[in-house]
Amino acid sequence: MSDQTPAVRRSRWPVAVLAVLAVVVALAGMFWIGRASVVGTVPGSTSADAGFLRDMQTHHAQAVEMAMLVRDRTDDPELRAIAYDIATAQAQQSGVMYGWLQQWGLDQYGEPMAWMQGGDGHSGHGATGSGGGEADATMPGMATRAQLAALGAADGAEAERLFLELMIAHHRGGVDMAEAAVRLATQPIVRGLAEKMIAVQTAEIDAMQQLLAERR
Amino acid sequence: MGQESASAGGPPKTVKQQRAAKREEKVAQFKREQARRERNRRFGIWGGIGGGVVAVAAIVALVVVTSIPPAPVVITGLQTFANEATHVTGAVDYPQAPPAGGPHNAVWLNCGIYTEPVTNENAVHALEHGAVWITYDPALPEADVEALRAAAPSTYAIVSPYPGLGAPVVISAWDAQVELDGVDDPRLQQFVQAYWKSPDAPEPGAACTGGLDGAGRIA
Repeated sequence: MSDQTPAVRRSRWPVAVLAVLAVVVALAGMFWIGRASVVGTVPGSTSADAGFLRDMQTHHAQAVEMAMLVRDRTDDPELRAIAYDIATAQAQQSGVMYGWLQQWGLDQYGEPMAWMQGGDGHSGHGATGSGGGEADATMPGMATRAQLAALGAADGAEAERLFLELMIAHHRGGVDMAEAAVRLATQPIVRGLAEKMIAVQTAEIDAMQQLLAERR
Repeated sequence: MGQESASAGGPPKTVKQQRAAKREEKVAQFKREQARRERNRRFGIWGGIGGGVVAVAAIVALVVVTSIPPAPVVITGLQTFANEATHVTGAVDYPQAPPAGGPHNAVWLNCGIYTEPVTNENAVHALEHGAVWITYDPALPEADVEALRAAAPSTYAIVSPYPGLGAPVVISAWDAQVELDGVDDPRLQQFVQAYWKSPDAPEPGAACTGGLDGAGRIA
């Protein structure tokens, strides 16, 4: 009897210690896995997600510029409304894209169009060749500096026609980029935004083609 | 038994003495056994605690180490400032040359490549919108100027000559500036990477078009 009690006590301790250790390790492991899965949702700086968020801001900025230009050059209420719509919607989306990059701790700067390379053969390196604006012609649908100057110099119906032609091409390029993002991006929130851009800009292309047909 | 007690040495023992010795031996053995159990128990407890502490410390270390973001590139010679962002109508006497933020004109300079000096008060407004401003000594060889224009980002960047510059090239953003040794100074790209449309600017991403085209804009 006196021999058994200590024997039982002796065998309990390692079991208790092992149990505590197992619980600690299990909790720590679960914490680690949970944390790693959260950390894992942050895309890298060279990811398609980051590249799309950066380049689409640049693409949107030109759409805003063109929409503001035509609003200053026409009195047509329908044209002014669609320009207002494009400028404010795309400025808002740009802010969203800026904010996600910032939230993910990613620089706003990155090699332009590098994330889409291999898709259509465009090279981001071409962008550094001329600098200061012309470079963005390598981004699908972007108007050249000369085209922007022509829009800036036009007035009334001529400005409307130019705007519609440029913006239809711009939207088509934007849809191409958004489709690439749907294919290449890993973040559901980024792909979701790209899908909305495709839907809205495709509808706007139809509407603008209608407006352009009325002006020919 | 008898042999045992005989081997213990000393004078021969009585049966009583032998029994007493046996009892003592049993007690001593029990005490040794108890001491051993106690040692094992302590070892188990402290070993367990020690192991637990090590496991927790290892997890904490792993979490801490992997959550430390990679150290940002240190830009040698970087200067930072704390300028205010108010609108003014006249000329401004800026504390930095070229100015890296501060009071500015209501109209921003359009980003792009300029062959002539631009107006500080408009350029500073572009910095407020997140642009970087690459200024160069007008005495720089044309090939160097071309290299600088090629190295500039295609949007949200101004490239312009700046008479009286204290270095061959100076790159500025809102509240940040670095003097460069030349057009191939690697700090140019480091600065662009860190400060282009930087969240440190008051209104990053606001327009860098639709404002004022200065004289000599070529791109």
